[in-house]
Amino acid sequence: MSGLIPRFHAMDRSAPVWVLAAAALGLLILLPLGWLGYMSVSAERGVTLAHYARVFADPQLQKALWNTVVLAFWSGLLSVAIGAPMAWLSARTDLPCSRVIRSLIMASFVTPPFLGAFAWVMLAGPNAGYLNKLYRSLTGADDPLLNIFTMPGLIFVVAIYTFPYVYIMIANTLGLIASDLEEAASILGANRFRVALTITLPMVAPAILSGFILSVLQALALFGSPAILALPAGFHTITTQIWALFHYPPKVETAAAFSVPLLLATALLLLVQKRLLGRRGYASVGGKGAQRRAIPLGAWRYPALLGCLAVLGCAVFLPYGILAKAAFSRAWAQPLTWENFTLANWSFTFLSSSTQGAIVNTLELGVLTACAGAGLAALLAYVTNRKLIVGHQLLAFLALAPIVIPGTVLAVALFIAYTRPPFLLYGTLWILFIAYLTKEMPVGYSQSDATFRGIHSELEEAGRILGAGRLRVLREITAPLAKSGIIATWCFIFIGVIRELSASIILFTPNTKVMSVVIFDLKEEGQFGAIAVLGIFMLAMTFAVVALMQTLLGRDVLGQRSSGTPAGASAAG
Amino acid sequence: MPGVTIRGLTKRYGDVAAVQGLELRVEPGELVALLGPSGCGKTTTLRLVAGFLKPEAGEIWVGERCLSSPAAVVPPERRRMAMIFQSYALWPHMTVDQNVAYGLRLARTPRGERDRRVAEMLKAVQLDGYGSRYPGELSGGQQQRVAVARALVVEPEILLLDEPLSNLDANLREEMRFEIRRLHELFAITTLYVTHDQAEAMVISDRVAVLQDGRVAQIGTAEELFERPRTRFVAEFIGKTNLIDGVADGTGTVARGRLRLRVASTDLTPGAPVAVSIRPHQIELAPRALPGAPAAPGATVLAGTVVRASYLGDGVDYQVRIEESDVVLRVAGPAPPRVRLGESVSVSVAPGACVPLPSERR
Repeated sequence: MSGLIPRFHAMDRSAPVWVLAAAALGLLILLPLGWLGYMSVSAERGVTLAHYARVFADPQLQKALWNTVVLAFWSGLLSVAIGAPMAWLSARTDLPCSRVIRSLIMASFVTPPFLGAFAWVMLAGPNAGYLNKLYRSLTGADDPLLNIFTMPGLIFVVAIYTFPYVYIMIANTLGLIASDLEEAASILGANRFRVALTITLPMVAPAILSGFILSVLQALALFGSPAILALPAGFHTITTQIWALFHYPPKVETAAAFSVPLLLATALLLLVQKRLLGRRGYASVGGKGAQRRAIPLGAWRYPALLGCLAVLGCAVFLPYGILAKAAFSRAWAQPLTWENFTLANWSFTFLSSSTQGAIVNTLELGVLTACAGAGLAALLAYVTNRKLIVGHQLLAFLALAPIVIPGTVLAVALFIAYTRPPFLLYGTLWILFIAYLTKEMPVGYSQSDATFRGIHSELEEAGRILGAGRLRVLREITAPLAKSGIIATWCFIFIGVIRELSASIILFTPNTKVMSVVIFDLKEEGQFGAIAVLGIFMLAMTFAVVALMQTLLGRDVLGQRSSGTPAGASAAG
Repeated sequence: MPGVTIRGLTKRYGDVAAVQGLELRVEPGELVALLGPSGCGKTTTLRLVAGFLKPEAGEIWVGERCLSSPAAVVPPERRRMAMIFQSYALWPHMTVDQNVAYGLRLARTPRGERDRRVAEMLKAVQLDGYGSRYPGELSGGQQQRVAVARALVVEPEILLLDEPLSNLDANLREEMRFEIRRLHELFAITTLYVTHDQAEAMVISDRVAVLQDGRVAQIGTAEELFERPRTRFVAEFIGKTNLIDGVADGTGTVARGRLRLRVASTDLTPGAPVAVSIRPHQIELAPRALPGAPAAPGATVLAGTVVRASYLGDGVDYQVRIEESDVVLRVAGPAPPRVRLGESVSVSVAPGACVPLPSERR
């Protein structure tokens, strides 16, 4: 029984599985990023910084850079201005209907931002926009009330779908602060205002700041909303500029050189955010069993509710309403009369071969990526949680690394990596599969990580010592316990994939269109009815999967987002 | 039934040695408790024995089988051991029956025999009738019993327990101590029992191994450890004690300033530093005003003042400052109190109560 044989039995059958998972992850992330970096400095001969020089010297690219900074900063600030008070109201006060508010915020959170942007084109376009027509008919004025095709318009539309990130960060932090911390100050003689200012605010300050950073990151990486709102207004952001660089003839090197600064900026911001949260530990002291008493709002109860509903009206009610109207109208801008009613949009959308193909592609990719992603994430999380192989910390880092890669940048990197041997994948669904898998890996990994962290390793050891090998323990003990967590991971990834636009828009080819790309194309043709139908279909699928996930997890999608990793950070279209 | 022999066992985490050169022999059928403060390496030792960890040096033998060495580690599933975990580690997706039957299923025990043994074992831990419940539907004490049943039903060669009672409340803990001892006497499985609770170790085990810094500081019966500790650490860790640092004055006396104590042994090297351990309950206290009973022959008699007296119900905890020295002794006296705070007292200590220890401070 001694000697080498037992050792091989100990390592044996399971080891290749772990090593293979690690290798797959490494390949997935390092290969494209390596190519991106290389391409940005490649020259006919040797190495050059010419591409970077060109990027920073070109006034048009400079302008795009500056626009992105403006967009990211202001939408981050606006997100905090919306998200922070709402978080405080729903976590700390006797705000009426706070559960309804919470589910509406969740609806805003899962709404693809580019759909919201389309809806707002229909709501606040300067000529045909519904709100503007309403305004004109009411006042008789000739000028529009709102013009969404402006920088402020863009900032507004970005912020109403980004503020949930701030809300989540702050609401969860507030939820951890026990009332007695505040009461300890009250008993020493501080009034309610002073308590809020000197105790509560400093404790949530890191959460506010990190919520701001998360929103900024979202805005930086966003492609859909700027493409829909900024391009007609005649300005670019970094992401739309990168996309434009891919128009014929594609300037890949310039795009690469333009991508790298964006990548570094997001990496830096996330680093800062992580530092902030790392020091936040004290906020959770006394979190367990903490009793919280709601602060009475008194006369402000209903005005506060009205304020929340106004925001959610802009993010959910108005856009969903106009999408529904457009889906059933011959002409979306005309009043909803019987003559204007039609089902033609639906038959057109589901019967035309191009949209059909896209829907099939999307569902195929969604299922495939979700299965592969949930599986790979589960394996990786298991390896890192149980410290099965050397370098497991590196593995965790790699799995979370794509969070800093904006979809557009990832697409550029994948385009470079997979249009040449040994992996010729451009033009197939596989390149989209890889893009989605990479992009969703952080979400999947942090979800699985939480799952396995909740399964005490002693549960497995108890099986081992009674005579079960590692794989058998995995099958009979770990897998049944991790099942619902893994299915939830699957749902997260699926939702992320079916709405993905920013990488798809660069990687698609005529045969590999997906729903989001078709929606984007239909805009060029002015087919708003079909856009609305596809959008509603996408939302219906999303909400169905969210409902499934909430049943499985027994908690809502917002609450389960844990501090460190913004699990939905890749949700931006 | 095999015993366990551990030789020169060493396990490092980075630069920190959790276990270093640990030596231990557990006789067949014996229950040995590994006792020590947190970080002494007791749980690491247990996990090394279970095969969850690989040692950097040393060997673990069970009977004639070498199970662990730096060259090869037999995986846990092939060690014919069973383990009871601190968290119980009951599988929440299986019923009590399924939990207990798991090990038998792995051993391919025929169905009929399996059912019979599971039922018998549940009866032995007083859980008959609970077989179809899920662990989540049981109380902490019942879960503990299921964990015990699951480990014992496979009739392991070696049983390992990792602080199994630390999640129970005080009353239940006391009850389960006797229960585990009863089951040990019933099945007589060679057992290693990790705990940080000295009372638990003393009640449950045949012998106690006190661990310090990854080594066995002393191993022996509860009585041996308490009456004849061999190091300061053991003296302080097992029960309360007074430690007085001094210098050997002769072969059988220790001096500290003007204080002279006659001690239990007579082979001290004069001039060597020695620490003396005196248990609080082995010190006699009497009011000095009274002539009182004559002290035991050879006892050291000292004069002192009571500087603190705490009434504890079943006794009184005194602190007595010894005159003409810097020594303050803790003394356990009977209730009701015979001396009061501030009173002058005479203190007498028999030589047998003064255990000399190597003086080196850790």
